[in-house]
Amino acid sequence: MRDYWLSKLFFDLQSSAPLGEEYRAGRKKILDRYPLKPEVRAAVERDDVAFLAPRVNPYLLRFYFVVAGMPEAEFLRKVRTAGAAAAARSSHG
Amino acid sequence: MAKLAGVFASSHAPLIIRGWKDVKPANQQDLRRALTELGRRIKAARPDVLVEIAPDHWVNFFIDNLPGICIGMGEEHEGPAEPWMKDCPFKKISGHPKLANHILQTAIERDFEPSVSHHLTLDHGFCIPLWKGGLDPLPPIVPIVFNDLEPPYPSVRRCLQWGTMLAEAIRTYPQDIRVAILATGGLSHSIGEPTMGEIDEPFDRECIRHFENGDERKLVDFLNERLPTIGNGAAEIRNWVAAHGAADRRGFELIGYCNCPEVYVGCGFASWNLAARA
Repeated sequence: MRDYWLSKLFFDLQSSAPLGEEYRAGRKKILDRYPLKPEVRAAVERDDVAFLAPRVNPYLLRFYFVVAGMPEAEFLRKVRTAGAAAAARSSHG
Repeated sequence: MAKLAGVFASSHAPLIIRGWKDVKPANQQDLRRALTELGRRIKAARPDVLVEIAPDHWVNFFIDNLPGICIGMGEEHEGPAEPWMKDCPFKKISGHPKLANHILQTAIERDFEPSVSHHLTLDHGFCIPLWKGGLDPLPPIVPIVFNDLEPPYPSVRRCLQWGTMLAEAIRTYPQDIRVAILATGGLSHSIGEPTMGEIDEPFDRECIRHFENGDERKLVDFLNERLPTIGNGAAEIRNWVAAHGAADRRGFELIGYCNCPEVYVGCGFASWNLAARA
């Protein structure tokens, strides 16, 4: 299930280079504009790819972390770990 | 009446632009050769208008309003908005509202329900093959956005039917012009998923074989079975399926295939030999 406001945050950030710059300079001011659920906002603040991945379109997830400045290798490691963790949970019923 | 002058397909991997320097020389050569040949064939078709089928990568649409299929009706479209596409020469792209409207009316008459946009931005999915295929100056473009990014997607069979209808619309357009079709996207790739970076070359090769042998049922069954099991980017093969439908399911010719891990995509380039349809 998609989280609408999380998706909107990611969509807006990848749509506007100035907004992306503002976000990299300080996330709080931008995050305050979106009615994110507390647990979702906390996951954004700690770059929790595994938590965010099921809640947003994968392309937006990837675009967001490019805008947020996460190195590609780190994103790949985190998204693959997230998949492995989900598979492990699934295999345990 | 208008003539369907050519049908083509191309991958549009972003890293062909923003990661080009990291692509191995042999793959650079393969990609450059394939894109150049694609462009040569499109130019040889001498299209007065190019109908281009591509996805929207979260540039025009969002989950608050996400059409399955959208026809670009505008007199002019915006060039790509992505910052890394800043060197793309196409800042403003001419449209062809009359042909776009004829396609729309034909679609409605044939019980399709496309949405329309009178002002689209054509992102890298539209512009990379045009740019790197050397299609400058561009003919006017009628863009058709297929939603290949976020479910619900159009069904594979519906995309095939869309292609059939599109060819009919072109052939019944009451003006003596040449129209080509270019579908972009695919082949196998995965973006933002745990499988990101994985290319399924056996899938790509089998997919190509199904396009080559022209058996509609086998192609549809194969894609219905396999698309849900591989990376999300392969959903864009729906656009190739529409092109295949427009070419009457025959005459597929592979221009090139490059399993290119540096761009995360199994890159394919193709044209349909329309003379082989008889």
